Amino acid sequence: MKKFMVLAVMSFILLFGVVGCGSASPLLIWVGAESVDFYSDKMEEYLTDYTDINGEEFPYAVRVVGVDSSTSAATFLDDTDAGADIFTVPHDNLGKLIAGSSAIAPIQSAALLNQINVDNPQSFLDVIKGTVTGVEYTFGVPYVAQSLILYYNKQFVTAEQAQTWEGIWAAAKTANKYALTITATDGFNNSFLLLASRASDHYTSLKLYEGGIQEECYAQGDDTISVLKWGQRFFTDPHGAKAPSDSGWEVELSDAISLSTIGGAWHYEAAKSALDTNLGIAILPTFTITGPDAYGTIAAGTVFQSGTFADTKMFVMKKNSEKAEYLEDILVFLSDKDVQEESFEQAANLPAYKNASTEFSAFEAGTPEAALAKAQVEMFAWGISQPFGFNSRFNTFFYSKGTPDLILEMLENKDGTFSTNQAIIHQLIIIESLWKTGLRPE
Amino acid sequence: MDKKQDTNEKRNILSRFFSVFSRLGKNIVNGFKNFIQRFKDGSIGTKLSHVFLGAGNLYHKQIAKGLIFLILEVGFFVLMILSPQINDTPLGFKSIGNFFTLGTEAGDIFNPTDNSMLMLLFGVISFGIIGIFLAIYKANLSSARKADLDVKNGKNPTTFKEDIAALFDSRFHIAMLTPAIIGIITFTLLPTIFMILIAFTNYDAQHPAGQVLFDWVGIENFRAIFNGSGEISVRFGPVLAWTLIWAFFATATNYIGGILLALLINRKGIKLKKIWRTIFILTIALPQFISLLAMRNILSEYGPINSMMMNLNLTSEPIKFLATANSAWTARFTIIMINIWIGVPYTMLMTTGILMNVPKDLYEAAQIDGATKRQAFFNITVPYILFVTAPYLITSFVGNITSFNVIFLLTGGDPVVPGYVAGETDLLVTWLYKLTIDQSEYNVGSVIAIMTFIITATATLFSYRRSKSYKEEDAFQ
Repeated sequence: MKKFMVLAVMSFILLFGVVGCGSASPLLIWVGAESVDFYSDKMEEYLTDYTDINGEEFPYAVRVVGVDSSTSAATFLDDTDAGADIFTVPHDNLGKLIAGSSAIAPIQSAALLNQINVDNPQSFLDVIKGTVTGVEYTFGVPYVAQSLILYYNKQFVTAEQAQTWEGIWAAAKTANKYALTITATDGFNNSFLLLASRASDHYTSLKLYEGGIQEECYAQGDDTISVLKWGQRFFTDPHGAKAPSDSGWEVELSDAISLSTIGGAWHYEAAKSALDTNLGIAILPTFTITGPDAYGTIAAGTVFQSGTFADTKMFVMKKNSEKAEYLEDILVFLSDKDVQEESFEQAANLPAYKNASTEFSAFEAGTPEAALAKAQVEMFAWGISQPFGFNSRFNTFFYSKGTPDLILEMLENKDGTFSTNQAIIHQLIIIESLWKTGLRPE
Repeated sequence: MDKKQDTNEKRNILSRFFSVFSRLGKNIVNGFKNFIQRFKDGSIGTKLSHVFLGAGNLYHKQIAKGLIFLILEVGFFVLMILSPQINDTPLGFKSIGNFFTLGTEAGDIFNPTDNSMLMLLFGVISFGIIGIFLAIYKANLSSARKADLDVKNGKNPTTFKEDIAALFDSRFHIAMLTPAIIGIITFTLLPTIFMILIAFTNYDAQHPAGQVLFDWVGIENFRAIFNGSGEISVRFGPVLAWTLIWAFFATATNYIGGILLALLINRKGIKLKKIWRTIFILTIALPQFISLLAMRNILSEYGPINSMMMNLNLTSEPIKFLATANSAWTARFTIIMINIWIGVPYTMLMTTGILMNVPKDLYEAAQIDGATKRQAFFNITVPYILFVTAPYLITSFVGNITSFNVIFLLTGGDPVVPGYVAGETDLLVTWLYKLTIDQSEYNVGSVIAIMTFIITATATLFSYRRSKSYKEEDAFQ
């Protein structure tokens, strides 16, 4: 009897083992953690439509999993076999994903390529392509856009004052506060001065990997120097701008230590929680070059508009996925402009669709979320897409070799080291070298 | 006298060093001689077992044992010859070749690239499997030889049942140690070898595994510590110096503070001893990372301490204690102070236990000899505590060299050093984390891990061998 029991249990385990091994793995989709519910519902809708159209069920189960989209590329590359068939990444991660022979598949479906080309602004179309072994392919499907905007405290700053840094600065002086706390010193969230351009004609001499070329970096233009000198005054003034303290920018905003911050949509909930009904949202302010800031061809009185990286999040596909034949059709559906509008309404995702601000009725709702979306769309006119996706090195050289700290060091000018034009230019030469080579100049 | 002792000790170390190699050489020569002799003296079965594992056992009708050896041999050669693929990378003999080339197929957009990282890993595993097979081969020869000797001595070769029974009796140590040794080889030794080997490659952010091939570069990564203007050459010295300073002060302050606190609480006349002890033990009960994060918030620029000091007009503006401190030493000093608060209760608790166990007769004898309380303290209590806690002191020092939590949670390695990854309060281990996890510079990270290991191993061996706990092991028994 005992032997019979043991045999029965063993057979049971074996049977389930065999059945378990035989079942196909589900089609896995990684989306931003905030959008899991939305895209899960959408995929259920897609599966129903698939059955109706094809008269048979979709051959795979589908799982939608939430990930931190800023680290999804790294997570995928850690173990590509366990990675999702479709996953979301910021476009500047493209370089690391297509390094060498690429870990993601190029888009080949004419229908999907056509939809991408028709629906997206040129700035996005430029950054979703990459070259692998000498051939250029399109890899990404834009579906969410993002840019930096201003969150400010309406109790101390009027909407009019929020249009210029000088206005916020004056309000801060009156209230004995700081004008601005940046959310981080990482090169992205504190890039508003580096990316500033002349308000009258959008002019900037700054070059960041122009045309996807490693050597095409330039930061020694008269305008860049003038802007940094203005920034130096802003960051060294007791009522000007500051890096976040150990307490964090949220505390500084809620305790009214600072009157504003610069952030993306991902900072919205924290900003709302900090300021509640006093939360004001606007595009990033302008600022005016004064006599001490003027350098070379940039005269006092020149107005600059703060800049931003205006990016897209995109879906990409795993290379050599066994479900490859189904992925592009799913992406046609998920990146459709109607789905993007629903995504905005239900998950507050800013659409990548180029005519969203004029065509989507949800933009006119008058809610803070709509104001957030409109401000971001407006900032797109003053933004550039991060030009780092062409090569994985660009991202590393720009963000990870210490250049954001070198820029902040210049702005904070703690020991007066950067009080001369020569010192600023010398620091900019180091920064340029790090951008180009990852190394300081010899 | 001391100089003479030192010279003798150095001579001893040198002679031991050479004797190890001399013994190793002798063992190899003897092993080879035994191998030849065993082949000559062995039965046909034993001779065959040099090629067909288990033949010696089968010859002596030890069927189960012989078959196990044979199956293991067949399994080994099947694995090695067929070289099955895992994630498109072969294991087995092919992986030995791949171990040296680290891949040759660069791939393209539609075809995969050889995964150099898996090739390195599988090469190490295959060498491990070969090593284990050689051990099995040796066990097979010994087993065949033993069966020969049993027959020669007029005994029956042991049966499978007897061998199993022996594993739970006279050879119980083997039964118990085998899983542990397998576990150590699999989960400690092989990953360590893999990690060390990465230090000799160019596996970094520019060579992501499975997308770009990486290659062996010799000692290039070690040279980078001493040459060039890169991160590792500029920041290695300052980070190492701060790591050692931190380890010294973190250990010394906790150790001395804990002992003093224990002595204070155990003093006669102190009331409510149990309550005092409980209060300090409560800090241990709280997870360390919560204590650290709480301290970070308390000391932050707009936290309670700064608010209180500003309200009392002690300062006009917030003091930056940690990551944003104006001076590196402010942050470092603050970290060491916070570490005292976190670490002292551990030493206090341990010392309290030791104090309660100091043999009372030592004090009685000292009292009879006319020793004062002070003399008894410095000649009995202190040496006793030092003797018992010396190993703790050493492990604590080594533990502090690789202390990750305190630095990572309090400052994240900041204040920043503009232009470099390693900040002012980064230890070797937190720098290693940033280089590998954030920067994917696995080769440089591996070099730092090896250097950290050399430092900790040297510190441990040197200090432990010089401690009384090691030299006078039986003194207090």
